[in-house]
Amino acid sequence: MKLKASWLAAALLAVAAIILPAFLGAYPLNVARSIMTYMALAVSWDMLLRSGQISFGIAGLFGLGSYASALAVLRAGMSPAASIVFAVLFAGLVAFGLGFAILRLRAMYFSITTLALMEIFRIIMHNLHDFSGGPEGVVLPAILFNGEAKALYWICLAGLFVTIAASVYFEKSKLHLALTAIRNDEISARTSGVNIFKYLLIAFVATSMLQGLMGAIQVQSYGFTMPDTAFDANFTLLPLAMALLGGIHSTIGPMAGAVLLGVAAEWLKLKIPYGHLVVYGLIIILVILFMPKGLYGLAKDKFKKSHDNRVKGKLS
Amino acid sequence: MMLEVKKLEAGYGKLQVLRAVDLNVGRESVGLFGPNGAGKTTLINTIMGIVEARSGDIVLEGKSINKLKTHEIARAGIALVPQERELFPGMSVADNLELGAAFVPRGKAVIKKQLEMVFGLFPILKERYAQLVGTMSGGQQRMVAIGRALMAKPSLLILDEPSLGLQPSIVAEVFERLAILKKEVAILVTEQNVRESLKAIDRGYVMENGAVVLEDSATGLATNPHVISAYLGI
Repeated sequence: MKLKASWLAAALLAVAAIILPAFLGAYPLNVARSIMTYMALAVSWDMLLRSGQISFGIAGLFGLGSYASALAVLRAGMSPAASIVFAVLFAGLVAFGLGFAILRLRAMYFSITTLALMEIFRIIMHNLHDFSGGPEGVVLPAILFNGEAKALYWICLAGLFVTIAASVYFEKSKLHLALTAIRNDEISARTSGVNIFKYLLIAFVATSMLQGLMGAIQVQSYGFTMPDTAFDANFTLLPLAMALLGGIHSTIGPMAGAVLLGVAAEWLKLKIPYGHLVVYGLIIILVILFMPKGLYGLAKDKFKKSHDNRVKGKLS
Repeated sequence: MMLEVKKLEAGYGKLQVLRAVDLNVGRESVGLFGPNGAGKTTLINTIMGIVEARSGDIVLEGKSINKLKTHEIARAGIALVPQERELFPGMSVADNLELGAAFVPRGKAVIKKQLEMVFGLFPILKERYAQLVGTMSGGQQRMVAIGRALMAKPSLLILDEPSLGLQPSIVAEVFERLAILKKEVAILVTEQNVRESLKAIDRGYVMENGAVVLEDSATGLATNPHVISAYLGI
């Protein structure tokens, strides 16, 4: 019954998200797209985090997806839709190759390497003048759906749905057991038959593809990209802050965090331009100190406590 | 023969720990005794591929497993209940048991049957099925660890010091269960509590300084003067 209720709530939310453009103008839809992009990045970051691996390379894969899509259109003459598929596969292929080297690393060594990768991708795009447009970036001949706000909203929503579906699959399938076991204890996981490298590679490639997907949708929606925007550190920091605030190791937590911080960010941008980044930093510090499980973890604990008290009351 | 360890040598860096260890386990329960630092855990870890063997061979049901990785050894039929770090504390009993079978094809095929067997052996686990193992007592956690290993339907169950950190009444209960279990699966158990474990084993080995110094039946070990003075404290 509980499961059915949660699926029903998810279906209602999905329908509400689909029909939202009927009630909103271009500016709020643009804000919604931004929030959905960050939400997808936050969820995808959390998917890898469930294995215990903390990646700081979200912006790197996001930017890689942006450039792969833009350059596929400009240099190979692909259609925007085909370029998005190409960007997803390209991000996956790069992650697959890199995975063999960096998934041997653990803890801060893995994190720092992913951070360095983001910078390496940016520098490559910065310096390949003739191919990538250098620091000025590239401009696409046309914007997807001629820039029609509702259509761009729906394509972004589609990217988010794919990410959420992948995350739920991670939660409900054998992957959940494998990643949780790896996070808890690698030796115990191995002695239980878990092929650690295989499952880390699956998680790394899948999350990289999702980040590449959102990057490709972003570039096709705006019609241009440049290294400093495609590989902007905000694409790493904001999803991380959103997931921490909402609650890690879940799909719902990062989604809730993205809505809260996304809306707050829009408001803060108007009140204290650039100062909103300071607020993000403060949120990360405060959440780690006082609410390490995030809002979703806190709500779960409260619900469990009241449930336990009710059970105790019935027994006594 | 279920497991054959032949002239096995292993160690850490320049430190040689195992010295030409020979050990066999048939369809029986075998104990491995010795003081701290004798090399018991290193031997278990080498059998499981956690520590690399320098020379010698390890054969499981006629096939060499020397070059296999740990997860492949688990899939080949050896389940380990490690000395520490034996559980996933943030996971429920249900998830821990499911995990035991999920990645081992032979366990996955008979998951319901194995679950019934585990519940038959440790009924408390059925009652606590949804509980997080991190919130259970030490004895119950040990039962979950053994249950998780059994879910893989192993040919050989290895337990590394199962009585470590448990109160005496629970230790006796664990060994009672092992005595029942030896009818279902071959067992290799390392233990410092020789007195209790002698009740659950058919044969035993004594290791000292990385080498096997004694091999005998449970009855033989119980009456051996060296075992009596060094391990039974009589």
